[in-house]
Amino acid sequence: MSLWRKLRYLIPSVRRREERDIQDELESLQQFASPAELGNLTLAAEDARGVMRWLWFERLGQDLRYAARSMGHHRAFTMLVVASLALGIGANTAIFSFMDAILLRPLPVHDPDSLVIMKWRAKSYTLATSGMSWSTDGSTFDEATGTTSSIFPYSALDLFQKSDDVVASAFAYASASRLALTVRDATDSVKGQHVSGGYFEGMGVAPVAGRLIHAADDVPGAPQVAVLSQRLSRNRYGDEQAAIGQTIRINDKPFIVIGVAPAAFFGAEPGAIPDVYMPLHADAILSPSSWTARKYSDDHLYWLEIMARLKPGVTRAQAQAALAPRFRQFAESTATTDAQRQDLPALAMQPGATGLDNLRRQYAQPIYILLAMVGLILLIACSNIANLLLSRAAARRREIAIRLSIGATRGRVIRQLLTESVLLASAGGAAGVVVAWWGIRVLTELLSNGRDNFTLHAELNWTVLAVTCALSMFTGLLFGLAPALQATKVNVVPALKEVRASDAPRRWGRFGLGHALVVMQIVFSLVLLVGAGLFGRTVLNLHGIPLGFDRDNVLLFVVRPGSVGYQGPALFQLYEDLRTELGSLPGVQNVSLSAGALPMGGGTMAGVTIVGATPVAPSNDGTLRAALATVGPTFFKTMRMPIAGREFTDADRAQAPKVVVVNHRLAAQFGVDNAIGRTLTMGKDQFEIVGLVDDALIFTLKEERRAIAYFPYLQAASAPYGMVYEIRTAGNPLNLAAAVRSTVRQKDSKLAISDVKTQAAHIDQAISSQITLARLCSVFAALALVIACVGLYCTVVFNVARRTAEIGIRLTLGAQRPRIVWMVLRGVLAMTIAGLAIGIVLALATSRFVGSLLFGVAPNDPWSLAMSVGVLILCGLVAGLIPARRASRIDPMVAIRYE
Amino acid sequence: MQPLHGLLDMLVLRTLLFGPMHGYGVAKAIRTSSTEALDIDFGSLYPALKRLELKGWIASKWDVSEFNRRAKYYRLTPAGRKRLRDEHAEWREFASAVARVMNAKPEAES
Repeated sequence: MSLWRKLRYLIPSVRRREERDIQDELESLQQFASPAELGNLTLAAEDARGVMRWLWFERLGQDLRYAARSMGHHRAFTMLVVASLALGIGANTAIFSFMDAILLRPLPVHDPDSLVIMKWRAKSYTLATSGMSWSTDGSTFDEATGTTSSIFPYSALDLFQKSDDVVASAFAYASASRLALTVRDATDSVKGQHVSGGYFEGMGVAPVAGRLIHAADDVPGAPQVAVLSQRLSRNRYGDEQAAIGQTIRINDKPFIVIGVAPAAFFGAEPGAIPDVYMPLHADAILSPSSWTARKYSDDHLYWLEIMARLKPGVTRAQAQAALAPRFRQFAESTATTDAQRQDLPALAMQPGATGLDNLRRQYAQPIYILLAMVGLILLIACSNIANLLLSRAAARRREIAIRLSIGATRGRVIRQLLTESVLLASAGGAAGVVVAWWGIRVLTELLSNGRDNFTLHAELNWTVLAVTCALSMFTGLLFGLAPALQATKVNVVPALKEVRASDAPRRWGRFGLGHALVVMQIVFSLVLLVGAGLFGRTVLNLHGIPLGFDRDNVLLFVVRPGSVGYQGPALFQLYEDLRTELGSLPGVQNVSLSAGALPMGGGTMAGVTIVGATPVAPSNDGTLRAALATVGPTFFKTMRMPIAGREFTDADRAQAPKVVVVNHRLAAQFGVDNAIGRTLTMGKDQFEIVGLVDDALIFTLKEERRAIAYFPYLQAASAPYGMVYEIRTAGNPLNLAAAVRSTVRQKDSKLAISDVKTQAAHIDQAISSQITLARLCSVFAALALVIACVGLYCTVVFNVARRTAEIGIRLTLGAQRPRIVWMVLRGVLAMTIAGLAIGIVLALATSRFVGSLLFGVAPNDPWSLAMSVGVLILCGLVAGLIPARRASRIDPMVAIRYE
Repeated sequence: MQPLHGLLDMLVLRTLLFGPMHGYGVAKAIRTSSTEALDIDFGSLYPALKRLELKGWIASKWDVSEFNRRAKYYRLTPAGRKRLRDEHAEWREFASAVARVMNAKPEAES
C-alpha cells in the first residue's frame, strides 16, 4: 500500500489531492487547539510535503542505481530490448507520420470540412472525348465502375456558382504544368497553377504579403498578375515583402507579383505545392492557341477542376441531391449523339477536406502495406521484449527469493522490477525517437526516388510517437510486472532450495508462454519474408523486362524553349544547335532528342497502313493502330536500338522526302517481310519506310509490345514545345549534369532545364513503389528474422539451462552426445515448424492484398514461399545449434554436482 | 526540552499504542505523559507523522471528532507495532549502556 501511494504521488492530480488533504487536515485541527498552540501551520505543511517528495526521490534513486547496474551486467539483454523497442517505435512512428502527411492531414484552409470536390462518373466518356487530352496530372481514372473524373468544362463552374441555395462559392483550378520562371535574369523550371478569381477567397486562405488573386484579375485582358509561394519568394527575394510589385517573366511574358501565399498552403493537392499561381485567363497570354479560346466556349472541352464551399448547415448529401439533377440537365443539353445521351456523366461530390486524392491513389496502397509491415515489426518487437523479460524473471526467481528472505518487502521488490522495466522502456523510447527521425528522412528519399519536384514532406508526428511509446511501455510493464508479481508470491524456502530455475513450476501450461511468443515471431517473420520474396522477384522481373534499348550511361534532361517564345524555324535551330554543342562536350558519345523519354507514360496512337498490305487485325477503318514517336537524328544509335536500313540524319528535313522508321511488330502486323522501301500512310500523309528497328517499349514498362512508327521531328510541321535530350556518355552520366546545365544556360539564359536524371533512374521511377516496397520489405524481413532468431536462441538457452542436471544424468547413464544435440534441436524444430505451419496459412491469406503491385509473380508464388521457409528453418537450426552443441559438451560430473 | 534526535518516531508510535489519535492529540499526549517535560512543537511533529505514514508504520483515516467535526485520525499498523518493539528494545539497550557509563564509580582515586 505504501508503494502504491508513493507511485501515485507521481501523478500530478493525485499529488494535488494529497496536498489539499494535508491542508484540510491542518485546518481541521483548529477545533482542538488555538492557532498559538498549533504554531506555524504553513511551515508544517511545507515540511510534510518535503518529506513525501524526498522519500520518493530517495527510493527512486536507489532503484534507478540498482536497475542501471543490473542492466550493465546484462548488456546483451539490455541491448536486445532497447533495440527491439527502438525499431518498433521508430519504424511505426515514421510510417504513421507519412500516413498522416499523405492520407489524413486536411488542407490548411479555413473550415476545410465544408469544402467539396466536384467529380463525375460515367461508363465511358463519350461526351467529353475532345477535352480528355487536357486532363492533367492523371485526373481521370479507370475504375471497375467506369470512369471517374474531376475535370469539367468552363461553363460548369458558372453552373455551380449560380447554385447559391447550397453552394456558398465555387472555384476552379487547372495545372499549368512546368513553367520557365525568370526572376532577376535567372530562369528556372517551376510548377504553376491557374486559379479562378474566387479560388483563394473560397479556400479561405490569407496572404503572407500583398494580396491574393481576386475575381477582377481573372477576366480576359486584365493586367498580368501572379502570386508566388512563400518558399519561392524567400529563395528569390529574401523575404515576402520584397517580392510585392516586382516584375517576373513567366514563359518570357511579364507578370507583376501581387502577393505571396502561405507556406502551409499546398493548393488542393498535398505533395504538389505550386510555386506560382496565375488567373485562369492568363493562359491566353502564356500559350495563345485556338485551344485557349475554345477552353472558355466549348462545353465539350473538359479541363477544369472544381471545388466548392457549401453553405453553413448544408451537408454534402443535400448538396449532391440538389446539384446532381442540374449537372445532368447541363450535360444532356450538350450531348449531340444518342451514345452520349445514354452515358451522361453523373455528378459525384467528394469531401474536399484532405485535398485531391491523386497522391493518395499513388501512395495509399504502398503506405498501407508498409503500415501492415511495421505493425508486424512492432508485434515482433513487443513479443521479443515480453519473451526476454519472461525468461529473465524466471532466471531471477532465486535472486528475488533471497531479497525477500533477508527482509525486503514484496512492494519494494516489485517496485524494483518495475523501475527496471520502465528504465528499459524509456531507453528504448529515446532510441525510438532517433530511429523515427532517421526513418522519415530515409522514407522521403525512398518515396521521392530522385524526383526533384517532390514536395511531400512528413514531419515527426509526436502524437504517434507518444502512442507507440505508450504501447511499448505497456508491453514492458506488463511483461515485466506479471512475472514480478508472481515471483514475489513465492514461498521463499522452496524457491531458495531450487538452486536453479530448473525446478520452477511451469506456470503457463505445458506449452510455455515464451514458446508461444517465439512461434508468433516465426509466423510474422515468415509473412515478411514471403513479402520480401514477392517484391524482390517483382523488381527482378521489372528490371528484366526487355526494354529494346540500352538504359545504361544515358543522361536525360527536359528543355522547353517553346515556353519562352521560341517558335518556327528558330525553335528547330535551337534544338539542333543544342544537339551539336552537347555532342562536343568531353565524355559524350552521342546525343539525340525525342518528344518524351522512354517509357513516356502515355502518348499518341493513330491509324496507319502500308501501301499494298492489309493489317492482320485491322481496326474499324481498316488501319492499324500504332503508337507514334517523334525523335531526332541518331536517336536509334544513341539508344543503341538495333536497326536495319538506315537511321534518321540531319538530312531528313522538311524539304526532303518524308521518312519513317517502323518496328518489327508493326511490319509483322501487316505480314510484311521486307518493310524497308515501302510506303506508310497516315491520314493523307505518305512516308517512305527507311528503317526497321527492333521492338522496344514506348508508353509503359509493363505494356505488350506495340506497333510503333518513329518520325523525325525535323519533318514535323512545327517543332515540339519542349523536348527530352538523350546523351550517351562514356562514364557516369551524372558527371556531365553540370556541363549540360551550363551549355544550355550559355545558349540562352532564359532557358530552364528540368528532370535531369539518368535513363536508368527514369525507368526506376516508373516502378518506384515496387522498388521501395521491395527494399523496405527486405529490411523489415531481415529485422524480423534477427529478432525471431534471438527469441529462439534465448528460449533454447533458457531451456538448456533448466535441464543441465537432466542432461548430466543422461550423459552419465550413457547417452550419446549427438542424441543430446538432437534432443535440444527437436524442441527448436517443433517451435519452428509450428510457426511455419501457421505462417504459411497467414502468408497465403494476406499476400493477395499486394497482388496488384506484383509483376510476373503470383501472390501465392511457391518459389518465394519455399525460399522463406528454407531461410527460416536454416536460421532456426543455427539459433538452436549453438546452445545444443554447448549442452552436449556439458561435463556430466560438473552438471550433477551443480545441484 | 525537545526529545533527542531520532527518538520522536518511537514516542509517536508508542503514543498511538493507546489507540487512534488526531495529529494535535499526539503532540498533546506526549506532552502530558512526559508531565510537560517534553515540549513537542506541532510543527515538527506533523512531518514526522507523514513520514511514518509513508513508511507504512501508521495509517490515517478521516473520522468524526468529539466536536462532531471532521478530523484525521492516525493509528498504528502491524508493521508499526513491530517497529515500535524493535526501536524500544534498541532504546532500552542504549539507555542502559549510557546509564552504566554514567553510574560507573571511579575505581581508584589516589
